[in-house]
Amino acid sequence: MPPSQANQPLPPGYQLENYRIERQLSAGGFSIVYLAYDEADTPVAIKEYLPNSLALRTEGNILPTIPEEHRSTFRHGMKCFFEEGRALAHLSHINVVRVLNFFRANETVYMVMQYERGRTLQEHIHKHKGEIKEAFIRKVFARLLNGLREVHTHKLLHLDIKPANIYLRIDGNPVLLDFGAARQALENEVQNLKPMYTPGYAAPEQYKAPDQLGPWTDIYAVGASMYACLGGTVPQPAIDRLENDRFVPAAKQWAGKYSKQLLDTIDWCLDLDYVERPLSVFQLQKVLSEQHHVVNEDTWIDSLSQRLRGLVKK
Amino acid sequence: MKFTIYQESRVGKRRNNQDRLAHCYSRDALLMVVADGMGGHLHGEVAAQIAVQYMTEVFQREAKPRLADPFMFLAQGLAKAHQAVQDYSIGRRLPEAESPRTTCVACVVQDSVAYWAHAGDSRLYVLRGGRVQAKTRDHSTVQAMIDEGKLTPDQAVNHPLRNRVYSCLGGQQAPHIDYSRKTTLQEGDAVILCSDGVWAPLDDLLLAKSLQEVDVMHAVPPLLEEAERLAGPNCDNLSVVAMRWGENYGDTDLGGPSTVETETMAFDSHSTQMPEFGQRRAPLPELTDEDIESAIDEIRAAIRKNSN
Repeated sequence: MPPSQANQPLPPGYQLENYRIERQLSAGGFSIVYLAYDEADTPVAIKEYLPNSLALRTEGNILPTIPEEHRSTFRHGMKCFFEEGRALAHLSHINVVRVLNFFRANETVYMVMQYERGRTLQEHIHKHKGEIKEAFIRKVFARLLNGLREVHTHKLLHLDIKPANIYLRIDGNPVLLDFGAARQALENEVQNLKPMYTPGYAAPEQYKAPDQLGPWTDIYAVGASMYACLGGTVPQPAIDRLENDRFVPAAKQWAGKYSKQLLDTIDWCLDLDYVERPLSVFQLQKVLSEQHHVVNEDTWIDSLSQRLRGLVKK
Repeated sequence: MKFTIYQESRVGKRRNNQDRLAHCYSRDALLMVVADGMGGHLHGEVAAQIAVQYMTEVFQREAKPRLADPFMFLAQGLAKAHQAVQDYSIGRRLPEAESPRTTCVACVVQDSVAYWAHAGDSRLYVLRGGRVQAKTRDHSTVQAMIDEGKLTPDQAVNHPLRNRVYSCLGGQQAPHIDYSRKTTLQEGDAVILCSDGVWAPLDDLLLAKSLQEVDVMHAVPPLLEEAERLAGPNCDNLSVVAMRWGENYGDTDLGGPSTVETETMAFDSHSTQMPEFGQRRAPLPELTDEDIESAIDEIRAAIRKNSN
């Protein structure tokens, strides 16, 4: 037995309302995500609210056991789940995962989302470590930021942006997934259910000053995700950086390999002081795309001049 | 001395109330204190409690029944309160980033003269005839930016840094404390001490108007309700000590059960009002089956709307 009791997933083949469970896709401290098929055999992702600290599903059971003393907190934790559902239901954006249904069953609640084919940015980074092109980074993140802008417009923060939560569709269009940590800038209400943040991607204020969360918090994570694309490594976790900052600026580590403007922008997002970061996605997007043309021009001029030089040599 | 006084602290939409307040008077002197424990720091409410408790204890020790020097009392009281908060964190080996901190504003009235001092962004207002006669200047980043002309007061309202203060009790740096001038109170003047949960959503003018010629105990609760309404779902803790000076009022003018008349008090007696310390958490309302069903219905309706 693992030291902390983990919840058992629903068994393959289990019929959950109109959906047939295929297998577990992922599990976090707060929920389990399944691949399932609807009546038309369309694949969907179903997220089940099941916080490990409050409810336990043991082998061979469908209904989780919720100790009496946790019943009230368990129910209040649903609010976070509702927030996620509510926020996603109001969002309709090609770069944000789409919610298809929401229902109550097995003493808990479920959210059905569109299942995306493709792979996560995390997997992509793994495969192409150290050889990801600037144009790819700019393209993926400019599109992703469109989605994130929509999220922030709805007064929602994602709070767990990382390559593993960025899905690359087959057409290359990114989708922002897993709003499990998302909060509508509300509540510290349910303290037992503090989401676990991902070291390296979580901004310092997520550890130290939860009342100072804002768009800039997601921007830190976007910066860290772009940073991860450069060399396949995660920046030093913010909590350690606060103690002893050994973070090597992107502008220093990858000078020459990527444009200085891109590297500076990444470092800008990763400032420990949120006031120093881009304060809105729009501001960041502007910087990412503004310079894009210049970079294109540069390469165009470079290649032209190279060709000219080639001509001269001939 | 004769005055009416009213104090109230509300949790707002936060889980904890990190604000603390108190007032305390002897025959000849009145002390009012508001402290707002720092939300970003653990133990914020402990810091606020230490500050308020410390000030009232020193007051009770020294105001017998007069304070020898009100400014000296404020200076020493706040400096020692700062040390007491620091001692608390050193005693618990709390790292700097987690050390408890609090804002603090304190006011003494003696011989119809008000003396006040503050660190941070909890405020004091002197209101006279529906206008702001005097107020403290926040030790906040946005106030500094306004002073430097980098920000207009309107832009400060929703500024991301609006909660950042550069002076407070506790923490490693010695607090920057500002002292008032000696301000002679006139009959009918109102002195308001409040945390930013109260002043931030409200307009100064509204504050001044709503306390004009209305008994503090009737004026303050609707004012707090208005602040809560304006602040919406993120409403901060709200705390006010409101006092109307009535030295020259006839009994009938000021009247009412909330009027304090200190003439008859013994030389060494004190009256203190300070809420008890404890985890003041707003109880979680029960999430009923109906609440769950209606949340789900709402989400499903939004999904249907968006899929068309």
